[in-house]
Amino acid sequence: MRSSEFRALLSKDCRELFGSTAFTLLLLVAGPLTGMSFIAAMRAYAEASGAGGGAAALASALSPLDGLLVPTLGALDLLITFLVPFVAIRLVSDEKRSGALTLLLQAPQSVASQLVSKLVALLSGWLLCLIPAFVAIALWLGYGGHLAIGETANLLLGHTLRYLLTCCVAIVAASLLDSAASAAIAVLSFTIGTWALDFFAAGRGGWIERLARYTPSAMLRPFERGLLSLDSVVASSVAALLLLVLAAAFVNVRAPFRARAARATVVIVAAIALLFVPTNRSADVSEDRRNSFPPADEALLHSIEQPLTIRMYLAAEDPRANDYERNVLTKLRRSVRELRVDYPYAGQSALFENDDRYGTIVYELGAKKAESRSTTEEIVLDELETLAGRTPPARGESSYPGYPLRASPRGAAVLFHAVWPLLIVIVRRLCSRRTG
Amino acid sequence: MTLRAEGISVRRGGRVLLDDVSFAANAGEIVGIIGPNGAGKTTLFEAVAGFLPDAAGKVEGAAFFYLPDGIRPWSERRAGWVLDFFARLFARERDHAAVAALQLEHLLPQRIGSLSKGEAKRVALALALSAPLPVLLLDEPFDGLDFRQTRGAMALLRERANAGRTLVLSIHQLTDAAAICSRFLLLDHGRAIASGTLAELRARAGRCDATLEEVFLALE
Repeated sequence: MRSSEFRALLSKDCRELFGSTAFTLLLLVAGPLTGMSFIAAMRAYAEASGAGGGAAALASALSPLDGLLVPTLGALDLLITFLVPFVAIRLVSDEKRSGALTLLLQAPQSVASQLVSKLVALLSGWLLCLIPAFVAIALWLGYGGHLAIGETANLLLGHTLRYLLTCCVAIVAASLLDSAASAAIAVLSFTIGTWALDFFAAGRGGWIERLARYTPSAMLRPFERGLLSLDSVVASSVAALLLLVLAAAFVNVRAPFRARAARATVVIVAAIALLFVPTNRSADVSEDRRNSFPPADEALLHSIEQPLTIRMYLAAEDPRANDYERNVLTKLRRSVRELRVDYPYAGQSALFENDDRYGTIVYELGAKKAESRSTTEEIVLDELETLAGRTPPARGESSYPGYPLRASPRGAAVLFHAVWPLLIVIVRRLCSRRTG
Repeated sequence: MTLRAEGISVRRGGRVLLDDVSFAANAGEIVGIIGPNGAGKTTLFEAVAGFLPDAAGKVEGAAFFYLPDGIRPWSERRAGWVLDFFARLFARERDHAAVAALQLEHLLPQRIGSLSKGEAKRVALALALSAPLPVLLLDEPFDGLDFRQTRGAMALLRERANAGRTLVLSIHQLTDAAAICSRFLLLDHGRAIASGTLAELRARAGRCDATLEEVFLALE
């Protein structure tokens, strides 16, 4: 296909997207929603920093990633979950309904290139949706706030991958189902299903937990913790590609049923195979290295060649399990060569359990075994290193200074709640006069 | 033979929509698929064009383009933009001759969604004619056109057929069909009841001066 022909497709899809009322509404909502999250986050951050005469939190506990970026960009998550699917579905469903698809399927361009063009248009739309987030970041810096480029870019990447996946799921639903309404119900059902899976799989281990790692919201979580998860990047990209192949099979109604079914089967098999790809390749891009043990401990743990097995006698709902997962297991998975975690209480509430072992965590390294009830990082590290026959290294205080800021979000409300919507309305009116 | 469709059959939930229908079209010929509403004309076109992959039968011959009835593609865009865009997909320019013959100039700045049924039909015809394929399957090409527009569209289609293009038209208005088509396939309830030139059909019906409508009624 010539590049001029793809440009024609892309121009069509961009016009269809940017000229639609649905997309205008999405942009209109993006500003106030991001603004609301930003203003609330800034006020909470200022309060924690000691504004208004209250007691300030420990400076090193004040991280802009947790205090500002994650809650502000959380608005994007709402947009992606509840509004973006409708915009993406419309791009396919309108062409099906109006008969345009029948014409396009007879054009020389492949179905795949037509879907890629839609995805590129949607990604361009994403850049516009990000403008309020960039405005919020600029305001934060203007107020004297601090941001680490690495963790900021990483979080934006996480949301972009989430957007990409949501668009692809929406395109598949719109390709498969006859009406836009049915496709919207299918996508929202998928989202609710992934939430249920997330909830159900927590602390269970095994294949179900592995499956739950690939839900869109689970894939975003590492990025929110400052972890550049290569698995999530690869899994999202491959999943997006597979979903496009699936959508192409559904859209191309001229292809024989068997060929389409075969293609869909290949996609499903490939998606299942994806679950068995080795995981936990990631880079800690957080400024405070929250996802990593101290370098000396990391080096020591990495030198352990025997497989480590951890048996955690805690129910998934137990806050200690949550602490242990976040503060210890996440880091261990990145440091130890071979780690296996068993959850004997998977699927149990443990409310009526009289098991004396409840609350213990058992470590097995070769023939050696140790038991502990602690979920504190330093104690677990000492335990493991002693079990491996090594001397725990000396650990200093974290060098992360923290970034308190007592500024108030002056002018942000006017910008997000008045200027932005007005700007969108004006631009929309100007564009609708000029474009055909 | 430019296009040959043989033994086209379509079944849906135990209902026979098309039963072993065959037709052929030569280069430069205008073939009319005629029959009342529900005869299976659109289903035949969809099956031939590959939009019903479970249809039985065989289609062979030159590449073709199928224009469905009642479409309003990219309804938020202006007619001129849609014509240009579609031509660009085939690495061509807008078919200015078709635009002039179909009297579309004043409609070019209008949104497709704001056009009347007849106006949208004329834009769709111009779209189909811009596809550089030797055979065109046009579903109800004159539906919604007034008599002047119909005459203009017929003149344009005849001109394109004379230039070597093959046209297969599905038409439910038999007077329109008789005015433009050189050969006919008569469809009723999914079955081909006859095919041939008007003279051949008259001979088969045993009524040498009958209209196409009378021939159809005699043969059904």
